[in-house]
Amino acid sequence: MDVVVISQILLWIVVIALAFVVMALVRQIGVLHSRIAPAGALMLDKGVAVNSPAPKVTATDRHDKPVNVGYKSERGQLLFFLSPTCPICKSLLPSLRSLGRQYRRDLDVVYISDGDAHAQQAVITEHGLEEATYVVGPEIGMTYQIGKLPYAVLIDADGVLRAKGLVNNREHLESLFEAQSMGVGSLQEYMRQTPRITQ
Amino acid sequence: MIHPIVSMASALVLAVILFAGASHKLRAPHRFARQIDDYALLAGSAVALAARTVPVVEVLIGLALLVPGLRAWGAVGAALLLALYTGAIAINLFRGRRDIDCGCSGPGLERPLSPALLVRNGLLIGMAVIAALPAAGAVLHGFGLFLIGASVAAILILYTATEGLLTNQPRLKSLSGR
Repeated sequence: MDVVVISQILLWIVVIALAFVVMALVRQIGVLHSRIAPAGALMLDKGVAVNSPAPKVTATDRHDKPVNVGYKSERGQLLFFLSPTCPICKSLLPSLRSLGRQYRRDLDVVYISDGDAHAQQAVITEHGLEEATYVVGPEIGMTYQIGKLPYAVLIDADGVLRAKGLVNNREHLESLFEAQSMGVGSLQEYMRQTPRITQ
Repeated sequence: MIHPIVSMASALVLAVILFAGASHKLRAPHRFARQIDDYALLAGSAVALAARTVPVVEVLIGLALLVPGLRAWGAVGAALLLALYTGAIAINLFRGRRDIDCGCSGPGLERPLSPALLVRNGLLIGMAVIAALPAAGAVLHGFGLFLIGASVAAILILYTATEGLLTNQPRLKSLSGR
């Protein structure tokens, strides 16, 4: 084969490979952009106050097993309120699953949703939540006065509500898990505590 | 006379782009109907009709581009269709309705209208014109076919990358606060 032809072929292969690299970089930038999406606006707090005992509710999950929320237990609980019709909730499920696995010794993740059973099933199948504690019903949401989704509530092992808030991205979720492992509900609380620690 | 490699590569690229466009329009017909509605150029029932016919027309033109005997007709059709899209975008840009989704790419690639789209469509129309011009009747041997395949692959990947960049652009703008 002619040397020129061989060089042409090699060059084309390089061009295509470089084009792939460019495309991959563009995709990664896109993912980064969606990860640093703006955080939810601050909202007026209602419902149970942070650092007060969490209301005790018992509901049944999809498999009719009782789920106790707000009771003393060995592990803390993270209540994640979602709806099959809320795209942000669904986009958070993969992060929540991986964080849940990472912190499974300290925290039980409870998924709480309401509405159409078919839509719930679709979410469960799509995100592999068959084994998860998944409650469908309004009781818990009403008790904790959840008005916006996706919302998460962190309750520690003593049944005290440690942190709560609208979660719009992975960072919000992580901050809740971090709150559990550090035993501090918010940055403000941490700042108040540090002077005491350093003294 | 255009070299058959150039004309065939242009036809292939256009066909793939048309098929890709038709596939996301067919998979989410309601979304596409909403996008047409956003352009505010058609009324009520015409929107639903356009949402059904446009993807079919895209597929037909794409197929015509792949058949050697019909390539010129397919290319003329593609140029007209693209000119139609460009016109719709230009009218809405002129009206100042920049914040509607252009509907040019699939889900997850929503982006507002911008003059960059006019340039992109201009380039695609240029390719359609090249594919429509009569090609010289040279017989393609192995290396010619390789060149067609390689250039089509490179152009399509770079096209996708450019689409991605154009989608990221408004997000970056909103981040830097402009």
